[in-house]
Amino acid sequence: MFENLKKIVGEQYVTDDPAICYSYSRDQHWNFVPAKSPACIVMPGTRDEIREILLFADENKIPVIPWSTGINVRSLTIPVHDNSILLDLSRLNRIIEINEEMMTATVEPGVTFGQLMEETVKCNLRPSFPDAPLTASVLANNYLRGIYQTSSADGHDHTLSFEMILPNGELIKTGSRAFSDMQHFRYGIGPDIAGMMAASPGTWGVVTELTLKLYRVYDFEQAYFVGFDSVEDAMPFIRDINRDGLVESCRLLDHHSYITGLFGTFDYDYEKLPEFVACILVAGIDGIFQAKNELVKKHISESPGKLLDIPATLSTHFREETIAGSEKSCMVFGLRGNYHCIGIYGPLTHVPKYWELHKKTASDAGIPDDHVYFYVNPIAPFYGQLCYIELDIFYDGSDAEMGKKIREYNNLQFPRLLDAEIYGWFRPYAGIIEPTLDRIGYQAELWKRFMEIADPNQIMNRGKLF
Amino acid sequence: MQPEEMKEAIYRCGKCKLCSIATYHPNEKSLPICPSGEYYRYQAFFAPGRLEVLRGVLDDEIENSEGLLKVAYACTLCGACYEKCREISSIEQNHAEIFEEMRNLLVEKGWMMDAHRDIMEKVSETGNAYAAPVSEDYGHGKREDTLYFIGCTSRYREPEIVDAMIAVLEASGEKFSILGDETCCGSVLFRTGQREAGEVQVQKNIRAIKESGAKRIVFTCPGCLMTFKKNYPDLGVELLHSTEFITQCLDRLPLKKLDMNVTYHDPCHLGRHLGIYNEPREILNRITNLHEMKRIREQSWCCGSGGGVKSAFDDFALWSAGERIREAGDVADILTSACPFCKRNLAEAADGMEIYDVVELVKLALEV
Ligand SMILES: Cc1cc2nc3c(=O)[nH]c(=O)nc-3n(C[C@H](O)[C@H](O)[C@H](O)COP(=O)(O)OP(=O)(O)OC[C@H]3O[C@@H](n4cnc5c(N)ncnc54)[C@H](O)[C@@H]3O)c2cc1C
Ligand code: SF4
Ligand code: SF4
Repeated sequence: MFENLKKIVGEQYVTDDPAICYSYSRDQHWNFVPAKSPACIVMPGTRDEIREILLFADENKIPVIPWSTGINVRSLTIPVHDNSILLDLSRLNRIIEINEEMMTATVEPGVTFGQLMEETVKCNLRPSFPDAPLTASVLANNYLRGIYQTSSADGHDHTLSFEMILPNGELIKTGSRAFSDMQHFRYGIGPDIAGMMAASPGTWGVVTELTLKLYRVYDFEQAYFVGFDSVEDAMPFIRDINRDGLVESCRLLDHHSYITGLFGTFDYDYEKLPEFVACILVAGIDGIFQAKNELVKKHISESPGKLLDIPATLSTHFREETIAGSEKSCMVFGLRGNYHCIGIYGPLTHVPKYWELHKKTASDAGIPDDHVYFYVNPIAPFYGQLCYIELDIFYDGSDAEMGKKIREYNNLQFPRLLDAEIYGWFRPYAGIIEPTLDRIGYQAELWKRFMEIADPNQIMNRGKLF
Repeated sequence: MQPEEMKEAIYRCGKCKLCSIATYHPNEKSLPICPSGEYYRYQAFFAPGRLEVLRGVLDDEIENSEGLLKVAYACTLCGACYEKCREISSIEQNHAEIFEEMRNLLVEKGWMMDAHRDIMEKVSETGNAYAAPVSEDYGHGKREDTLYFIGCTSRYREPEIVDAMIAVLEASGEKFSILGDETCCGSVLFRTGQREAGEVQVQKNIRAIKESGAKRIVFTCPGCLMTFKKNYPDLGVELLHSTEFITQCLDRLPLKKLDMNVTYHDPCHLGRHLGIYNEPREILNRITNLHEMKRIREQSWCCGSGGGVKSAFDDFALWSAGERIREAGDVADILTSACPFCKRNLAEAADGMEIYDVVELVKLALEV
């Protein structure tokens, strides 16, 4: 295998050295997915090399794991099978185009959010940011259909089109790309192929280029922080400002955890804040901003919430974190040394129920109350009162006992959440796939069959889904 | 360091890889800060990957290989990863120290670089890392309260720094001595995991310093200074870097302003490892026009030579230096540092850029 790959990419870009391979054997999700090394790492520099690698792997039925920047938190690039090739795509790191007129960017897999933002900001544009580190791949995150909780106004779908090399070497282009040089429309002809293949951990083919939406950076902005004593108290306020499309960002969170990331500091007396805080950013062009701002102020004054006086530096940081490049969200690691979360989609109406369930399951699994946190992010347009809800547990990563409790939490919580009714999961990964497949009937079969057509020898990240 | 402590660091790493870039806001730039990862690209060469490899070593899951040696030794131990990780996570587990400890583990198993073994042999045979004939030129032979500890690199490779420091000491009116038979402080041995050989140097120097009767030691080499602070027992002697010494007597020195546009490169040992960031800047602001680069202080880009990299992976060391030279060229005509080892490596990659140690500019400012 090594010799064949060497012929394709040259000696410098392939290794089967066990120590180097070992560094790809585990991610932050180690409590759930055992460490395993790929057999070799290959770093192609061109599409042709990717194609040749796939053809070689397909012919020899060798599992291939695409890897763009490796920042995922669900062991999506940890091999399931022996003798896997890890396809490190970080050398393909060109921003192919920033189209100011069309408000789009086209990127290769290795382009990070930091890299992209550096360029888009020059034309007052930005991508939608996940709470992921700025080192994460824009392409992989959008292809995985990340959670863009930093801005509620951006909505959920930012991918317009992409091109993908399949295991048989064929190139497919989705949306308007399929038959034109224009990459800016999601639906070219027939079914939404991009939609079908998205949110997939590298199980169809290798995406080599992706076009995504960019959003305006406005001159007029105002941040508000509103304290609530209970989740229930905050619900009507959150519903109304999102239903009327008034806010750029909106996150209701507990006063301990992710707020440190939004404020960018551990050095603040978070205890003095009310138990829940809604962090709101209003933005827009002048007239629209003024009108929205007045309405938001009115909603705040009519709510049971208390407008908080937050120091300007923290407020500026919140603004940066939400629309200029989320950088400090990872600070949550610092609270105890690791974090675990179950991310779900659900309606705002169900949020108090999810919060209660989170506390109960954690308690059933023996996890102390003070390790249990949560936040909710509404997503525009607010049909179905769509929200992303994160049920978090912050814990000491080096505490193996706590690792066991968190595994127990997951075992209990996955079916309980399905019973409580949710819209969907953050993304498919080990643990949630199994209980969910039981409930989706023939759709599971159809999904597998589609995948068999694209990847008959099941080389693409084999075992990661089914 | 105990294996448990290393494991704690390993198990607290969330693999965010933010330790590979400088803080984004407010520069609004995504600038790399881990030379090893940038050069070798594989995950193993970034801090989170290197921590994983250490896990393999601790759990006896990895055997010796060319790759393992490269992962362990092609890291400048610059500590940029630690500073950034600490900023975002508040986790205080020093990666540079952990990666040095990894080398100790490897050396115990006999897994080491030939270039480093070679240095150890040179030090034990000749007392210096360059196997240069012992130069007693600088020996003053006198007993004074202040001792100038020169270090191997300045003494045998960058003598201009020594000349400049002597001139500055003389201009300050400070009486000082220099050890005629000064021997390596052990820095390179400790940094490359050769703890036992390092200890031999420690004992030799303790004896020499006790005999010298010095009450304070001034160093132009931050590597020596750090080794004295970290690896030596408390000798009851004040330990100062040249820039600290000069700052203390700045008002006594008849310094003129030089018409020079300079930028300053923070040596990792001086900045990140010893927290000395302000003194060199105070001096340079007094005698030159100082223009800062984007990656400075805690998030400085390493020159690429430390941690035994220069001797074992010169291509990597020169590439890192080249990156720094380019960055310096964006803001100034002259690049200064406060470490002979930085100066040497940067000068090799200089591409026309003038490179000085801060003490050399102070000497120039005395002469104007
Ligand atoms: C602290 C932290 C917080 C995070 N918060 C968020 C968050 O708020 N929102 C969010 O969305 N994510 C979040 N993430 C997760 C992470 O950033 C995303 O999963 C990430 O964007 C994907 O990782 P990556 O880009 O490095 O891709 P990788 O880790 O390289 O790959 C992820 C998956 O995509 C597949 N893949 C990668 N590249 C390709 C390709 N070119 N073609 C086909 N398949 C490919 C891989 O096989 C793998 O299954 C967070 C991560 C961390 C560490
Ligand atoms: S910043 Fe810290 S937690 Fe993140 S990858 Fe680096 S070492 Fe690990
Ligand atoms: S010590 Fe420096 S070179 Fe080594 S991993 Fe950390 S940042 Fe990279």
